[in-house]
Amino acid sequence: MVKRPSDNLSVCGSCHGEIAKNYKNSLHYTTAGLKHGVNGRMATAEGKIFNEKVFPKACNSCHASCGDCHVKVPVIGGINIGLIKGHQFVKRDEAKTCALCHGGRVYPEYTGEYGGTPDVHYQKGMFCADCHVKSETHGDGTVQTGRKDIMDRPSCQKCHPSGTEKSDKSKLAHSAHNGKVSCVACHSSGDYRNCTNCHEGKGAKATPGFILGRNPRDKKTVTTLRIIPTVRDTFVESGVKMEKFDALPNYWDTSPHNIKKRTDRTRSCDTCHVEKSGFLTRETLIKGGSKANEGLISEPKALK
Amino acid sequence: MKKTGMLVMMLLVLCVGQVWGASLPAIVSTDWLEQNLGNPDLRIVDIRDLGEYKAGHIPGAVSAAYGSWAINVKPLDNEVPEQEDLQDVIRNAGISEKTMVVVVGKTDTIPNQVNSPRVAWTLQYAGIKQAAFLDGGISKWLADKKPMSTDMVKVVPTTVSIKFQKNMMANKADVTAGKAMLVDSRLPEFYFGASKVPHVKRPGKIAGAALLPSAWLFKKDGTLREVSEIEAMAVGVVGKDKSKDMILYCDSGRLSAGFVYVLTNVLGYKNVRMYDASLQDWVEDPKAPLTMYNWN
Repeated sequence: MVKRPSDNLSVCGSCHGEIAKNYKNSLHYTTAGLKHGVNGRMATAEGKIFNEKVFPKACNSCHASCGDCHVKVPVIGGINIGLIKGHQFVKRDEAKTCALCHGGRVYPEYTGEYGGTPDVHYQKGMFCADCHVKSETHGDGTVQTGRKDIMDRPSCQKCHPSGTEKSDKSKLAHSAHNGKVSCVACHSSGDYRNCTNCHEGKGAKATPGFILGRNPRDKKTVTTLRIIPTVRDTFVESGVKMEKFDALPNYWDTSPHNIKKRTDRTRSCDTCHVEKSGFLTRETLIKGGSKANEGLISEPKALK
Repeated sequence: MKKTGMLVMMLLVLCVGQVWGASLPAIVSTDWLEQNLGNPDLRIVDIRDLGEYKAGHIPGAVSAAYGSWAINVKPLDNEVPEQEDLQDVIRNAGISEKTMVVVVGKTDTIPNQVNSPRVAWTLQYAGIKQAAFLDGGISKWLADKKPMSTDMVKVVPTTVSIKFQKNMMANKADVTAGKAMLVDSRLPEFYFGASKVPHVKRPGKIAGAALLPSAWLFKKDGTLREVSEIEAMAVGVVGKDKSKDMILYCDSGRLSAGFVYVLTNVLGYKNVRMYDASLQDWVEDPKAPLTMYNWN
């Protein structure tokens, strides 16, 4: 008996050839985002060891086959809740598929189970696939190294373009922050999950937090940051010391799925410009983290 | 399922001579709701998770999950959202001042059983007077073999302006003022102090509170007990005086909604308030007294 028949993409590809061809290079299948996310911390030689020995057994073991989203609920942490709808093939059922693999942070943030307020899009009846379209979940055929490579990824401004605001207050706030502050920095409703000691060998522990700082991929912009703490000795047992550990920060730009129309930051300029609530500081940086973390600290300007 | 739901809706719309309920019953039965499915003044609000709603819901019901109606505001769970935010939820559900709203939820657990009256109470607190919940929730609807639909219902948002009804809400100062009868709506082991939920820092009850558990409103199948039985329970604890000033509390304001709704809407008590922040708020002050190991 073949355990995961659709892991061999040619099985589904015999009828769904185009999708299978695209999917072969997609992040859901290759999990390449995890590899490229950490490769930057490694010297060339140890990067090769990681890619050949660690990645296939660890990160890539979580890749999704066709059946994991269309037949059977994915097995996460050894928990197996079986088929989605008998043995029928289903087109989409986000609560039983996306919610499992992305249930550590994204899904519970979205439904309000983590943090306290459901995302406004959830409140309006929208589910994962309403924003994350097929060319993202199946891939578009190009070889992708990370989420930022996806051309068709969701963007707030696709549905909410600048200039369509209903109130003058919103127009003014958006034009004043355009290009300097991300949408989520103001419209995230609050705490989201931060992985404070994953990969430390002590078992995963997540704590709620809301962190504002410079986007490591675009330091002109302030955005919400999430702690992704690959610690210095994460791969030591596999012979990978991460010689360039300090080249990358432990905080990465994130889009918390807890969007709200009105937040403390939209209600009052003082929240950021006077109280500086949520902003990363030297005092709040994680201990023993990367030296690159300091470059993400941003001091909000005083109001004129 | 989808076709059945559509057919029922079409038949109801075509049925020109249909007599719909002019007003909303305090306890909505599955039969009443089925007969009123085409009623233009009715809005059914499904408070289950979106995934459950999409898998099948009562024809015409809009989705507005429980978390839209009761949010966490550290350190409190189950708080009424800010007025503007709640107004958005109500508008987006297509509810106006005169809409008859029936809340539909799950009844498989005690928290789920009280979620529906909690949302109905929240609507009334926002000034939507005709708000009730489906007795037995979606389980009873399915058990009675009523129609279901998988159509995603989109409604035109209203422009309703809500106003919080302050006389329905109590705070810590109202409790400490000592003028109102205090009613603890948790289960006896929590009232007695033998058990404590993790999200409340200390066990015990507020001194002088009487015990009237909201969990006892419901039968095993998640439907309400007979009104006569509920009334006898209530009278035995709070008395017959319908004008008595009462404040109900629990751990977070979720459980107490059960008896707050029933005392007000079903039994006709006029002065019932909910201490929404409940014990989570009370124990924030480490010196705030709680009594234990007595039934007084």
